[in-house]
Amino acid sequence: MPTRESSFAAAWAILRKECRSEWRTRYGLNSALLFAVTTLTAVSFAVGRMGDRTDVLAALLWVVILFAALASLAHTFVREVEGHTLTLLRLTAAATPIAVGKLLFNLLFLGVLELVTVPLFLILMGAPPPHWGLFLGVLALGSAALATAATLVGAVIAQTRGRGALFAGVSLPLLLPLLAAAVSATRAQWSGNPVTFELRLLAAYTLALLAASLLLYDHLWED
Amino acid sequence: MAAIRIEARAVAHRFAPGRGLQPVTFVHDGAGCVAVLGTNGAGKSTLLRMIAGLLRPTSGVLEIRVDGADVPMPARRRVVGYASPELAFYDEFTVGENLAFVADARGMDGPAAAVRDALDRVGLLERIDDRVAALSSGMKQRLRLAFALLHRPPLLLLDEPGSHLDDVGRAVTEAIVAEHRRTGLVLLATNEPRERELADSRIELRGGLGHPA
Repeated sequence: MPTRESSFAAAWAILRKECRSEWRTRYGLNSALLFAVTTLTAVSFAVGRMGDRTDVLAALLWVVILFAALASLAHTFVREVEGHTLTLLRLTAAATPIAVGKLLFNLLFLGVLELVTVPLFLILMGAPPPHWGLFLGVLALGSAALATAATLVGAVIAQTRGRGALFAGVSLPLLLPLLAAAVSATRAQWSGNPVTFELRLLAAYTLALLAASLLLYDHLWED
Repeated sequence: MAAIRIEARAVAHRFAPGRGLQPVTFVHDGAGCVAVLGTNGAGKSTLLRMIAGLLRPTSGVLEIRVDGADVPMPARRRVVGYASPELAFYDEFTVGENLAFVADARGMDGPAAAVRDALDRVGLLERIDDRVAALSSGMKQRLRLAFALLHRPPLLLLDEPGSHLDDVGRAVTEAIVAEHRRTGLVLLATNEPRERELADSRIELRGGLGHPA
């Protein structure tokens, strides 16, 4: 049977498969949205509007995004192991296109999550109007870094026995730098301070993680 | 017809001391059907997983050549059709969607026709729109066979192909083996006497339960 196997076709097929699976099962999105909405509602009831506390607002925004998304982002590979479909996947495509497809899905997942969470956050928390260009730039780069890190960690821990404990241990050093930069940049854009350094840092961090991931993925499933 | 050759030189895989595949050496050249035999735990499935490129031998050399060209481990999935009880599908997708995903990811020409053809060969075409979660064990086994046949590979690796199948399903399997062995190679890991008879040569594995290495 003639085939024109390409990494692009495989990654695209994986992305479509992930979207269809999420659409059918609502495995991650419902719980992520539930967490985000309940957290924001509870905090807004308890603390009220915090328009003048941009430092707290910036931290809260990224904490909500991180915790709402993290379990689902890292779970894209774990689901394959727990559903025993990893063998099917390995016989279908190479490890790198599989991981790239899942990374693209995680980016899309974060985008949809933020589409709901961020406007709700701005309204419920009484946040000052952001500088939209910078704000969206920080969100985009922060999300790219978060998705890349979570995909890498998910891929590495998926086949391990103690993946729950490993997930926390491996995630922490990868997530702290990106969270610090994202929070700092979000606060700075509200304060009117320059955010160039943080944006560069986030971009460099994402690229470095992506490069490391692409080097690692091909060796993921070598028993 | 692709010329296929498999050569194993003292190939072994050790999961734990005394567990796994004991060193095995064999050469098979050309089309046909080979039975991989051994007691439970002898390493039949392990050997098939290594040939499929899913598992790396802990020692020894395993070479697969198609039309004279060496097929390295990462490329084996292109020349191998693999059906095994461990192979699971996405329950939330239909039978057709599962195979269409595989065909798309592999970049196959005419994926829809290939999916229908593979399902037709295993007698599962009428269930193409059913969710996998709704299939019986026997139908899932037929789907595994369809997955193995989808890209028309020169090498078929069938691990306990008759498991969960009724008489009609077994007849389908036998027909697939009979057809494929004329142009390609079938490796059949089995303990079933009826399936053993399909083979024209055997690889006997040592080790496993009741058969110390």
